Amino acid sequence: MEAIWLYQFRLIVIGDSTVGKSCLIRRFTEGRFAQVSDPTVGVDFFSRLVEIEPGKRIKLQIWDTAGQERFRSITRAYYRNSVGGLLLFDITNRRSFQNVHEWLEETKVHVQPYQIVFVLVGHKCDLDTQRQVTRHEAEKLAAAYGMKYIETSARDAINVEKAFTDLTRDIYELVKRGDITIQEGWEGVKSGFVPNVVHSSEEVVKSDRRCLC
Amino acid sequence: MSDKDDIETEATPTLENVDSELAKNSESVDQSAKPESKPEPVVSTRKRPESKPSSDLETSEVLPVEASQAAGKETVSKDEPQTGWGYWGSWGKSLLSSASATVATVGQGISNVIEKAETSLGIPSPSEISTEVQYATGETNAKENENSLMTGPFGVFSTISTAVHSTGKSVISGGLDALEFIGKKTMDVIAEGDPGFKRTKGLMNRNSTLSQVLREAKEKEEQWTSDEATTDADKKTHYGLLFDEFQGLSHLEALEMLSQESEIKVKSVLNSLSGEELETLKLELEQLKEAFSLAEFCEEEEEEEKGDEDFTKEITELFSQLHVSSKPEKLARARNTAYEWIRTSLAKPLEEKEEGENQLEGEKTEQINKNSIEDIHAFAIRSLAELTACSIELFHKTAALVLHGQKQEVTAIERSRTLSQMTLVLCKELSCLSKEFTTYLTTAGASNSASYIQDAFQLLLPVLEISLIENKTESPEA
Repeated sequence: MEAIWLYQFRLIVIGDSTVGKSCLIRRFTEGRFAQVSDPTVGVDFFSRLVEIEPGKRIKLQIWDTAGQERFRSITRAYYRNSVGGLLLFDITNRRSFQNVHEWLEETKVHVQPYQIVFVLVGHKCDLDTQRQVTRHEAEKLAAAYGMKYIETSARDAINVEKAFTDLTRDIYELVKRGDITIQEGWEGVKSGFVPNVVHSSEEVVKSDRRCLC
Repeated sequence: MSDKDDIETEATPTLENVDSELAKNSESVDQSAKPESKPEPVVSTRKRPESKPSSDLETSEVLPVEASQAAGKETVSKDEPQTGWGYWGSWGKSLLSSASATVATVGQGISNVIEKAETSLGIPSPSEISTEVQYATGETNAKENENSLMTGPFGVFSTISTAVHSTGKSVISGGLDALEFIGKKTMDVIAEGDPGFKRTKGLMNRNSTLSQVLREAKEKEEQWTSDEATTDADKKTHYGLLFDEFQGLSHLEALEMLSQESEIKVKSVLNSLSGEELETLKLELEQLKEAFSLAEFCEEEEEEEKGDEDFTKEITELFSQLHVSSKPEKLARARNTAYEWIRTSLAKPLEEKEEGENQLEGEKTEQINKNSIEDIHAFAIRSLAELTACSIELFHKTAALVLHGQKQEVTAIERSRTLSQMTLVLCKELSCLSKEFTTYLTTAGASNSASYIQDAFQLLLPVLEISLIENKTESPEA
């Protein structure tokens, strides 16, 4: 029964190299934190179900992209089919924050004619003592681009769930309102499967047989 | 139907998606339909009667490997990924069901059984494709085909490599056309073995890539699965959905993307050249292609069982020869986990389990045996799907690194040979693993696995071609 989901959303996670994209996703999908991890090669793939309202599940397909410049030609190809994205920077790395602007410009070029709902994520918030980006300026930047801002830590599991589920909810609202629609040839949002109501096991058996001819 | 519905894993193991003809033939497979009739269900116990004792408890400890490690600080994370396992559809399952139905009616030595099952899954000649309905009805057809078709547990594979060979010339000018062909062949095979899958057969007439076909088939499967509200236990054994859960489809799709890009580049380079330059390059590309034609993968007579270290060593060595920075650890881990599970659950003597189960008797003990058999079945499919997905992932990563990694002191030809070698090793490994599960499993899973891996391998050809061209332009002496 957990098998049933309303929609499938494809989310992309981008940001500078070493800001912690893969770690954030692994925390979210596998519930653990890897102290050491190799740099991502090209793209990686993860998925998880999220329950946004009781009984309403969304399947998230998460594209983890390499931050390294040399893989940019690969990762670019994935913008187009994403409905949502987490744009990460490392709060202890000012440079990664300054690059947020560039990341947004890059996506803007490659996502056409579609749009991506982004959330700005200040990652590694457990390292508050080494902070180089204040919450205030990050919030300001996010607001300027119409994004939400959230600070997360994969290591201490802070706000990881929230970052993904809030984004999922926002997208869900847009889909419900018809601002985002399912389109042929676009993989960003796909309709899930709503089960037929089956009352008894006998009926299950019957319908099975019937379908098989 | 049964008053034991509360035992989740006890769900009817088969046949929801097999047509009724088949169902008739394979009553003996349907263990839980008549739990009392026989102490030993035909299929499940014939070959490995000593392997009953795996307990319910134990297997449920072993199965959610990920989940048990996943206990993190966030409580939701702990649960949710597991729910992700809930939605297997039924194509892999019904594929296996029909295959095991064949097995059930055959009832001979293991190798015979394998051959039969294989034969019925093998790719018939075009005229035989039209006889697919008879197919499901059992072994008559299989017998007819037996001689004309390939032998060995990799029937699908050999046909596919034949396909590669026979289209060898056109591979050269259009690798993807050949792949389309292979992909469609693969789908034919799946459809042959799986009556349920036939419904998606229309897909094959379209001009789509292998991953698209697989994905659409899988999505259809998900649809039926949720429509029919089958049990979780059912869903655990659907190869296609598992393959996707392990992200195999996504990696295949990504690999196809890189392959297509490279192919376009190669074509444009070839178009821009002329005269001697063109001839030289063509010659070199020819050599590359030769390295990509798979060596005949024949089943070794009772190849010595390899230890974990051997496989890990072999695959690691091959990887270091590739000079890409990606490592095969994940693959080796998945493989070793599978073997470890077989060892602990199949080889465990009866006594070890008794303490916990002394109080269980008669019917209940039987229940446990059945559960464990289904668990083994589920685990086998899962392992094959995971290993295959890992293999595809490695090929995908290899492509990404060949294209965008740091420059390495290795030629495209050397890499091609290594990759060819690796494809064989992986297919062999899957064949071995599947043999380990033979009693409960036909080679259907292995066949699919092998063909996926080989398709993925072929996708690397354009990638290496462009890498050869790029190397050439950088080092004129090449």
